[in-house]
Amino acid sequence: MATVKEIADEAAFASTISSLPSSTLAVLYFHAPWAAPCKQMSTVLAALASTYSADAPVVFLSLNAEELPEVSEQYDVTAVPFIVLQKDGRGLETVSGSDAAKVRAAVEKYAGPGSGNASKAALPPAQAVTRPPQPAAANGTNGALDGVRNLAAYTPTAEGPKTAPEYSSGETKEALFKRIGELVKAAPVMLFMKGTPSAPQCGFSRQTVGILREKGIRYGFFNILADDDVRQGLKEFADWPTFPQLWVGGELVGGLDIVREEFENDEDFLKEYSVSGQRNTGGPAAPSTQAQPT
Amino acid sequence: MATQSMTPMEDTMRMKITEALKPTALEIFNDSHLHSHHKAMQGVTSKETHFRVTITSEAFASKMQPARHRMVYALLKDEMAQEGGIHALQLKTRTPAEEERQKQKDALAIEK
Repeated sequence: MATVKEIADEAAFASTISSLPSSTLAVLYFHAPWAAPCKQMSTVLAALASTYSADAPVVFLSLNAEELPEVSEQYDVTAVPFIVLQKDGRGLETVSGSDAAKVRAAVEKYAGPGSGNASKAALPPAQAVTRPPQPAAANGTNGALDGVRNLAAYTPTAEGPKTAPEYSSGETKEALFKRIGELVKAAPVMLFMKGTPSAPQCGFSRQTVGILREKGIRYGFFNILADDDVRQGLKEFADWPTFPQLWVGGELVGGLDIVREEFENDEDFLKEYSVSGQRNTGGPAAPSTQAQPT
Repeated sequence: MATQSMTPMEDTMRMKITEALKPTALEIFNDSHLHSHHKAMQGVTSKETHFRVTITSEAFASKMQPARHRMVYALLKDEMAQEGGIHALQLKTRTPAEEERQKQKDALAIEK
C-alpha cells in the first residue's frame, strides 16, 4: 500500500515530480521537524497513505521545508505543516495547518477515497508471505525506519509499511493527546493494531484484520508497536487498555470481541465502508482476487 | 490453614467480578498456555496472563458493549497494569435476556 516518501533535496523533488503520470495526484507535505503540529500531520499522512494501494494514482511526498528552501519558496510555504495537492504540475488545492479531516477530504476530492480504481487493491494486502516487497517500502524510507525504537518484542519484516514514528520525548501529554485525536480520525475506519495488516504481530490483531478483509472493509491502520508514545497514550485517551482497537468516525467501537459480535449481530455492520458495497460479488471475496495460499 | 491457591489471579478476578456485578453466570478460561511461546511473553513466568471471560449480569443492561467492557476493565485495572499481570482479556458481556436469546438462537441453528 502507499507510504509517504521523503524527498531529500531539490534535485530529487524535480525528478520525482517530472516522472509522475499526469493523472497522478501528488500530495506535497511541507514540514519542519521542530514543529510539534508536524509530528501529528506526519502520522496522520502515513495513516492516510496506507488506505491507498501502492498503485493508486496518488503519491505522498514529504519535504523538509528548511532543507528544500527553493521548493518551499516556489510553493510560497510560509508556515508548516503545509500540504499542496497538484496534478500534472498544476496546483489544485492547499491545506495549511494540522486538520486531518481537511487533508483527507482534499485528497479524496482529487484521488477518490482510499481505493483508487481497482477495488481489490484497496485493502491492505492479504497475509501472503511470498509477495515481493512494495517499491514504496523498499526506497529506504526515511523517518519511518529511523524513528523505530523501543521495540523489544517487535521484529520488523521485509514488507509492509511501518507508520511513521517520530522521535520520542519532548512531546507533552497535551500534544500527544492532540496528535492521537487527529490520528483516530485519519480514516473513517481506523485500526490500531500490533504489527501491520500484512504482518500482524499478535493473534488478536491478525484475527481483526482477517474479519475486516473478509467483509471487504476499507480502513487505515496504525502499528502501535512502532510508536510507544501512541501505544501508551491511546490507552489513556480511549480509556481502553488493550489492542487492537477499531475506531469508526472518530469513535471507539472496541476490540476483537466487540467487532466480531457486531458483525454477528448485523451483517451490514460497516457496510458503508466496504469496498464494493456488495460482498460476495467481485471485490475481495472473489476467487480471482484471493491471496495466494502460502 | 489452606494451601496457597495455584490461581491467585483467577481468584481475584472471580471475587471482584462477582462482588461488583453479581453475575448470574461467570466463566473464566485461562488461555495463557496458548500464548506462552509468543515473543511478547518471553521472560514472563506467570501462568496467568491471558484470559477469556464470559459474564452474564443485569448490570450490563442498557449499556453498549464498549461501556460494558470498560466496567470490567475498571474492576481489573490494577491486575492489568501490574508487571506480569493480565496481558490479554477477552470478554463476552451479556445480560440475562441476551443470554437467553442466544440460547434460543443456538437451539434453532442446531435444529436446522
